[in-house]
Amino acid sequence: MGPEPPQVSIDIEPVGRRVQVAVGTTILAAAQSVGVGVAAACGGAGTCGCCRVRIAGGELTAASEEERRLLGEPALAAGLRLACQAGVRTDVRIVIGPESLTATQRLQLEGLGADVSLDPPVVGFEVVLERPALEDLRADATRLLDALAATRPPVEATGRPPIGLAVLTELPAALRAQDWSGRVALHRPRGEVVAIRPPAARLLGLAVDLGTTKLAAYLVDLDTGSTVGRAGAVNPQIGRGEDVMSRIAYANTGPAARAELRAAVVEAVGRLAAELCAAGERDTDAIVDCVVVGNTAMHHLFAGLPVRQLGQAPYVAAVSDPLDLAAGDLGLSLAGGARVYLPPLIAGFVGADHVAMLLATEAAEASSTVLALDIGTNTEISLAHGGRLWSCSTASGPAFEGAHITDGMRAAPGAIERVHYGDGRFSVQTVDERPAVGVCGSGILDAVAEGLRVGIVDARGGLARSHPLVATDNGRPRCVLVGAADTGHHRDIVFTRSDVGEIQLAKGAIRAGTELLLSAAGIESVEVDEIVVAGAFGTYLDLRSAVRVGLLPDLPLERFRQVGNAAGAGARQLLLSRDRRLLAVELAGRAEYLELTTHPEFAEHFVMAMGF
Amino acid sequence: MAALDELREAVIDGQLAVAVEQTKRGLEEGIPAQTLFDDGLMAAMRRVGELFEEGEVFVPEMLVASRAMTAALEVLKPELVAEGASTSGRVAIGTVMGDLHDIGKNLVAMMLRGNGFEIDDLGTDVYPERFVQAIRDGAEVVAMSALLTTTMTNMRAVVEAIGEAGLREGVAVVIGGAPITQTFAEEVGADGYARDASSAVRMVEQVLGRVRATNGP
Repeated sequence: MGPEPPQVSIDIEPVGRRVQVAVGTTILAAAQSVGVGVAAACGGAGTCGCCRVRIAGGELTAASEEERRLLGEPALAAGLRLACQAGVRTDVRIVIGPESLTATQRLQLEGLGADVSLDPPVVGFEVVLERPALEDLRADATRLLDALAATRPPVEATGRPPIGLAVLTELPAALRAQDWSGRVALHRPRGEVVAIRPPAARLLGLAVDLGTTKLAAYLVDLDTGSTVGRAGAVNPQIGRGEDVMSRIAYANTGPAARAELRAAVVEAVGRLAAELCAAGERDTDAIVDCVVVGNTAMHHLFAGLPVRQLGQAPYVAAVSDPLDLAAGDLGLSLAGGARVYLPPLIAGFVGADHVAMLLATEAAEASSTVLALDIGTNTEISLAHGGRLWSCSTASGPAFEGAHITDGMRAAPGAIERVHYGDGRFSVQTVDERPAVGVCGSGILDAVAEGLRVGIVDARGGLARSHPLVATDNGRPRCVLVGAADTGHHRDIVFTRSDVGEIQLAKGAIRAGTELLLSAAGIESVEVDEIVVAGAFGTYLDLRSAVRVGLLPDLPLERFRQVGNAAGAGARQLLLSRDRRLLAVELAGRAEYLELTTHPEFAEHFVMAMGF
Repeated sequence: MAALDELREAVIDGQLAVAVEQTKRGLEEGIPAQTLFDDGLMAAMRRVGELFEEGEVFVPEMLVASRAMTAALEVLKPELVAEGASTSGRVAIGTVMGDLHDIGKNLVAMMLRGNGFEIDDLGTDVYPERFVQAIRDGAEVVAMSALLTTTMTNMRAVVEAIGEAGLREGVAVVIGGAPITQTFAEEVGADGYARDASSAVRMVEQVLGRVRATNGP
């Protein structure tokens, strides 16, 4: 063992953090150690090129082969580096570009309102207890259950509901403080008392959508069914890889890594709950029920289940039935006896979030034929037709999240989100109307669609070299969307043949999945009555562009419905209705899962769907 | 020969039906199957590789071209077997254990085939023992693919299994796939890495040259 390496300091801008680290530490590791989120889609392997930073002073280790390839010499010379590759040699100051900083991205929290008949699993019963006296020495719990048995209408529960240790621990003080009255929160499916609240207290539920990138939480009034608060946060696991597979690969490095991922997301959910309660001057003790939805990997990591088997063929889940866990056991500080419900899932890559989305959109309940897509790095697609339900998952890649695109970025301020071509030039709209610094998924989709419309992009995906906006860089054509004079970083924002190719691969995968579901159901796309498009990208995309590039079937636009965070809406329904919980189990049970990677016709459909 | 020109063009453009039709026409006109293969299909795939490197075509077009070539090759296969063919080397290729993705692997196989290599396609979810068996069956090159961060680590097990079987010296091990890097290739002890199907051909040729030089005549 040699002596400890000397310490140096890193100043991280624009967040203004300083961190002391050992010489040789990568910038990514340093930023993560102080909770500064840097986009790292590949988990720090040096392959995605997301974690670009600029050095503004000091010395870093020499550029790696990956950096030379992903950034190129001119960018390196201008001080750009990849945070996951560059190690520090002296005190340094680095600037994280808006496209690489994960904390400022737009969070998508709108969604469907839960429109279900109010019949929550957890309900409140007002009780008034007899005071103990020398001639009435019943225990507090017995006294409470006797009072509960006397309520009108009677409690629907078989026998006397049990009271868990967490509730018992709080019971004596609560009864005395509340002058022997209160509101008992009863978990009806379990027949268990989960909290004793003050008289007339509102009972709250927490619905959480655990996205791979984003967390969305909703506070729901269980007595009225209304949503009383919503909040979002970046999934803190993101520094350990941006996609599900990188996250699983990290968890596979050891039990401590899996525990770290679990603790990070549980803590973030707890913080959202606290934040939502504080905003309404409520206490987290008022949260008597919780529903958490997420893809299978997020679900497993949250529940503390192993994920290794999800990363290896044939990609099976540890459990697909619904889970009913104690909030306290998970490390969530809600009402003492509160439970956390995780709905059932369909397959390793069609998770509980997709089931929640199907619930919220009622896609699988109508007698009509409905195609429902949740577009992301993995796109889950379901088709309901003639009383049957087929589902699949397709690897659409991160292009629609702005990754692997020359000037790609997430939907953060300054991202081009709309593109229109007219009068010989492109006009763009950016997030928050800030000067353009890159292009996000809906923007690159528009750019390709507009390019096709006006002949800049040909049917095979090539760029028309003769077009005035197409220039050649090292022999490779690129099309300028916004010239350097009008961008936030004074460099051209372009799209290249390779970017068009990424879109072709992504839309080819989604379209091939769609076609195979249609063929499983034995129908043509014109027979689809409604197409539901969910998810962040699905909500912001321009339907005309999506149809023009062939991402979605060419059907009249009125048949499409863009629904925002439907998984979150589904989670809220599951807080408010026992029937919806039964339906979730029924849907997941009857969904017929189609494995695409081994499907004999997938490659053919995929290749055919890539052209324009 | 018009049929050959049109065959090459059809493959490059990814026109499956035309490629098949031109192959049949070529055979009817008496062009030897080996000539149709060498100067038609192989030449077309080499041209696709060049266009890729020039930035003129991209992965989607390579896939479409490779699909047309596969269909045309099906027509030629019976004739080629009859004539007997020479090869640049024998490559056993497969997607590693735990991974079912084969589009990239198939593309590399196609480009290698187009450049005269004999391909032993082991398919997907290939266990280490299967790669070892392929070497015993005569493969000089083992080419592995993985699309997932969670399965790329299984490449190490294959390199180890080849070593344990005492076959490592005589064989070239090359890897590729979306999450793979040169650094990773060195870590697992592979002889070569290529980032796309087109550069894979050159890389395999170089690595194979080195291995053959080491092994002696």
